Amino acid sequence: MGAYETQGFKLDNSGKRMVVDPICRIEGHLRVEVNLDSNNVIRNAVSTGTMWRGLEVILKGRDPRDAWAFTERICGVCTGTHALTSVRAVEDALGIQIPENANTIRNLMQLNLYIHDHLVHFYHLHALDWVDVVSALSADPKRTSELAQSISNWPLSSPGYFRDLQNRLKKFVESGQLGPFMNGYWGNPAYKLPPEANLMAVAHYLEALDFQKEIVKVHTIFGGKNPHPNWLVGGVPCPINVHDTGAVGALNMERLNLVKSIIDRCKEFVEQVYIPDLLAIASFYKGWLYGGGLSSQNVLSYGDIPEKANDYSPANLLLPRGAIVGGDLKTVHPVDLKDPAQIQEFVSHSWYKYADESKGLHPFDGVTEPNYKPEGKNFKGTRTKIEQLDEEAKYSWLKAPRWKGHAMEVGCLSRMLLGYVQPKQYPFIKDTIDAVLKKLDVPVTALFSTLGRTAARGIETLYCADLQVRQFDKLMAAIKAGDTATANISKWDPATWPKQANGAGFTEAPRGALGHWIKIKDTKIDNYQCVVPTTWNGSPRDPKGQIGAFEASLMNTPLAKADQPLEILRTIHSFDPCLACSTH
Amino acid sequence: MTTHHAPSPTGVDDDAVARAPSLKSIYVYEAPVRLWHWVNALAIVVLAVSGYFIGSPPPSVPGEASDNFLFGYIRFAHFAAAYVFAVGFLARLYWGLVGNDHSRELFSIPVLTGAYWREIGAMLKWYAFLRPYPNRYVGHNPLARISMFFAIFLGGIFMLVTGFALYGEGAQAGHWSHTLFTSWVLPLFGQSQTLHTWHHLGMWMIVLFVMVHVYAAVREDIMGRQSMISTMLSGYRMFKK
Amino acid sequence: MTETFYEVLRRQGITRRSFIKFCSLTASSLGLGSTFVPKIAHALETKPRTPVIWLHGLECTCCSESFIRSAHPLTKDVVLSMLSLDYDDTLMAAAGHQAEAIIEEVKKKYKGNYIVAVEGNPPLNEDGMFCIHGGRPFVEVLKETCADAKAVISWGACASYGCVQAAKPNPTRATPVHQVISGKPIVRVPGCPPIAEVMTGVVTYMLTFDRIPELDRQGRPKMFYGQRIHDKCYRRPHFDAGQFVEQWDDDAARRGYCLYKMGCKGPTTYNACSTVRWNGGVSFPIQSGHGCIGCSEDGFWDKGSFYDRVTDIKQFGIESNADKVGGTAAAVVGAGIAVHAGLSALSRARINHSQENQQGGN
Ligand code: HEM
Ligand code: HEM
Ligand code: NFV
Ligand code: SF4
Ligand code: SF4
Ligand code: F3S
Ligand SMILES: [Mg+2]
Repeated sequence: MGAYETQGFKLDNSGKRMVVDPICRIEGHLRVEVNLDSNNVIRNAVSTGTMWRGLEVILKGRDPRDAWAFTERICGVCTGTHALTSVRAVEDALGIQIPENANTIRNLMQLNLYIHDHLVHFYHLHALDWVDVVSALSADPKRTSELAQSISNWPLSSPGYFRDLQNRLKKFVESGQLGPFMNGYWGNPAYKLPPEANLMAVAHYLEALDFQKEIVKVHTIFGGKNPHPNWLVGGVPCPINVHDTGAVGALNMERLNLVKSIIDRCKEFVEQVYIPDLLAIASFYKGWLYGGGLSSQNVLSYGDIPEKANDYSPANLLLPRGAIVGGDLKTVHPVDLKDPAQIQEFVSHSWYKYADESKGLHPFDGVTEPNYKPEGKNFKGTRTKIEQLDEEAKYSWLKAPRWKGHAMEVGCLSRMLLGYVQPKQYPFIKDTIDAVLKKLDVPVTALFSTLGRTAARGIETLYCADLQVRQFDKLMAAIKAGDTATANISKWDPATWPKQANGAGFTEAPRGALGHWIKIKDTKIDNYQCVVPTTWNGSPRDPKGQIGAFEASLMNTPLAKADQPLEILRTIHSFDPCLACSTH
Repeated sequence: MTTHHAPSPTGVDDDAVARAPSLKSIYVYEAPVRLWHWVNALAIVVLAVSGYFIGSPPPSVPGEASDNFLFGYIRFAHFAAAYVFAVGFLARLYWGLVGNDHSRELFSIPVLTGAYWREIGAMLKWYAFLRPYPNRYVGHNPLARISMFFAIFLGGIFMLVTGFALYGEGAQAGHWSHTLFTSWVLPLFGQSQTLHTWHHLGMWMIVLFVMVHVYAAVREDIMGRQSMISTMLSGYRMFKK
Repeated sequence: MTETFYEVLRRQGITRRSFIKFCSLTASSLGLGSTFVPKIAHALETKPRTPVIWLHGLECTCCSESFIRSAHPLTKDVVLSMLSLDYDDTLMAAAGHQAEAIIEEVKKKYKGNYIVAVEGNPPLNEDGMFCIHGGRPFVEVLKETCADAKAVISWGACASYGCVQAAKPNPTRATPVHQVISGKPIVRVPGCPPIAEVMTGVVTYMLTFDRIPELDRQGRPKMFYGQRIHDKCYRRPHFDAGQFVEQWDDDAARRGYCLYKMGCKGPTTYNACSTVRWNGGVSFPIQSGHGCIGCSEDGFWDKGSFYDRVTDIKQFGIESNADKVGGTAAAVVGAGIAVHAGLSALSRARINHSQENQQGGN
């Protein structure tokens, strides 16, 4: 194919090939190859998932009630979201209705995951793409303090606080042992923050590191631990007892108070640290609006956070559901996980085998058969030493999911866009986005960018911090009204199950639309398929040559320094890739 | 011993007495063996029942935890019987050294003796109704011997080793059972859950043995050519016909 | 100037006096005489932070996620002051060539003096290409990196045992670290994931005492893996009493009775959850109402449903448990005995009858 056009992008693989492997500060193993033209602009992008574990193969023949634990281990970063998706799939298959409280507690855990995952992503996985740690050394602590106080009421903002921090940083740098900051791209002209903003960001990098461990305690209370809390088909495993003997062995007033204090602190931290930081950093980068990729054309969300239990219709979901295609923001298409013509996975460019690879398979009929084969006329290297991949052949451990044949972007930007275009149902999203755009003084189209994705994540975190408080209030109101049920056990015993049953479960994982499809036969799993957010975003090409969201987002981005992949990292990181998820 | 004559109303039947075979009896099972047999049998019953309940506990009891110790007692019964079983096993081993020839039969099988295997064949035919009568055996019959060797001698060792390895987990490092057993048995089985499963399977193996054993003992007593149950009580083997 | 271990301790409020006391404790625990105390003190006062290379194989990154949850010590103090986390895909600033260069540099500069921490494991099928790192099989990178290390830490169930990707049929042949690395001390810190404070506890032990912790036969630090969840479970009185949760969300569950009948694997799981607990001591699985699933045990994925007390046996090719196998065998044998007894009675009657006929014919 060489040079061709797809989805409005002109792909041209003739220039200098640059390989970035490993991409760090993500979950899992990802490789990116790009072709640069003579101006160091990316004209062709190739994204490759470089791991596979075979969970779909491993799940066959197992007890459906156990599947949540297996799928939860697909990823420890978005921990719990696969578990939730899995119990929903099993409940769908067996027709299990969960109690209201179970739904609320699940919502609380899911929202809590969002907040944790987004915060850690912003500060610990993404910030170093925007923040120059070394430049922070030359900041004036007093001016840093002024900056901090001008944007937020957060109390840790005195000149002395920033001076101590700077001294610690200095000592650290002078030791010559730079640890995780070693060989960073410090001083690259793509960094735009003044030293004071850098110092403030470094301070919050460390504060966020301290705080994130507090957030997850909500999971610990309801699920016993984090990462990888416990779940239950039919409800949640934690019983409620606020009145009676033995309450200390269950969810009691003390536990609920602990939850309350954590979710209040979450709201505080997001409002007073995360959002102000985000706005401050963004204000220096609003001239750099690359990386929109597919977001202005095709976005997809399954929606999540059902307000009432067992109702998964769009009207009942506090996170929006739907699809936008061809950039038509006026039309939100309904999404049906069970329609065989909507969601399909292709493997023509993936290291898997189908009987007919020109066709896609709906997950109910999904097949996962690995077939490692690095090949093609442009492939360089050997089977165990890949120097350059050929994107015209098979080149990734990710399958290529498509919705009605379209490559889709999923994730926080998709969700916020779908909320933005449905302001009646999602006024909070609409209003917050408008406020942010106004504050930064940029048009709506600025959302379709790397920065837009990063901002959407922050806006969503704010929304979730608010929802978390509201879901908690709902839980308390239900308990007050005397409802303490947390599990429905009527179909716990496999003897009560039909001989065969199919089900689909979904969540909006922090990284986007997540679906699990299960086929149960004789009380065992007959087929289990996961189509995962990073599989959508990191998708390789399909038989039509359409590129996925990662690849699209890199197109036409100039690099400030041809030997430093800073901009590539920045844009890829804005998706918060998770490769363990994507290939599973 | 069958008579088809109606007995004389006087109770005197000289004819029958003359035709009757002489009853011979041989002292086979010395007192320690007999004592051990019944103590051991009892211990195994307690172990199997308590062990089953350890795997599948009875319904919960109401009330304060501190007022109840049901599961504790079930486990205690298991461990107490386990010690009886263990001490008995060691004592029986000792008696195998100092007792009569029959006291050693439990601990070996004469694999190299062709005659032994022929007798096994003979016993199998007897159980398959291919022979009208079994042969006469003073000690254990060859089939009983081989099943006891595997189920009780080897099986007993297996249950002791796995049992005390499990026991040492609770008793913990420093306890003799941990040092002697847990320390090497646990790594050998890989992990504790697997060890539980094998110990549990061991129970069923012994249950099967007991079922067959008791059936065979009663049947031999009735249909065979020598006494059985009374032998395990008195020690004397009596031969009929 | 290098911030030394001594300075770290000082900054954390430890006095010079207790520092020296600590040195003499170290000396005696290493079996060294008091003359070594000044030498140890000197070493700690001047030596640079130990470099750590943290590698990722096939895994889910929950071990990293757990690690950053450490409350004491705080992760930032571990990373900034106690060790030098020179390579860690998940956190490091650099990528690609710039990242790869660090491994080479550490290997050269700190030959024999760095620690390799491994999260996840290498798959061996497809020549190792189920996990590719820099275009090469992860297993190669792992071997090369460990070659000059002082010690290796196997984080989590993945590195220690294989974990979920090694569950049957283990399509990638995911293999625990100790099966591909030899000749190095390897500390296994199992759990899926391990508890944060156990992870930082193991690391700080190694840095503080400059030796690997005492290990059990399975290579786990005795200090955290010497007892079962069940040995220190606060629900144990209900276990002994015979008070069990019989069904999810029943009254027993609301009173916090023992979860044994719901399949709790606490009695067969070695870990510190019931004592150290999770996320700063807030809770642990059992406290939140779900049984332990045995996540720090070898092959816990393949023992049958997490909700069955009597666990599955796969040894026989069929899927079953001891009671099903044993019960079926007992039923078959019982029926066999009944039939045999019946036939015996019949044959005996026939023989008697024929004898009678013979004798009667006389
Ligand atoms: C838990 C139950 C039992 C176990 C584990 C058991 C075990 C044994 C063992 C190990 C021997 C061999 C003794 C030796 O050579 O030292 C034996 C012999 C014998 N047992 Fe049992 N026994 C059990 C119950 C019974 C019962 C209920 C009876 C009677 C109905 C019985 C009758 C006999 C007889 C007759 C012998 C001698 C067998 C022969 O000489 O071939 N046993 N038993
Ligand atoms: C004929 C001999 C024995 C039988 C039939 C037997 C049977 C059983 C059974 C069925 C279990 C339950 C296993 C499970 O599912 O977890 C068990 C557990 C156990 N047995 Fe035995 N056992 C025997 C001998 C012993 C001996 C000699 C010991 C040594 C002390 C022993 C110690 C234990 C221990 C410690 C447990 C675990 C208890 C617990 O988990 O609380 N057993 N046994
Ligand atoms: N599902 C899932 Fe994921 C993905 N992709 C999610 O947010 O991270 Ni590990
Ligand atoms: S051991 Fe478990 S928690 Fe750690 S990386 Fe592996 S799957 Fe994740
Ligand atoms: S809940 Fe589990 S660990 Fe705790 S006592 Fe019961 S069986 Fe043991
Ligand atoms: S499931 Fe794992 S977290 Fe602890 S309580 Fe059991 S070892
Ligand atoms: Mg899949």
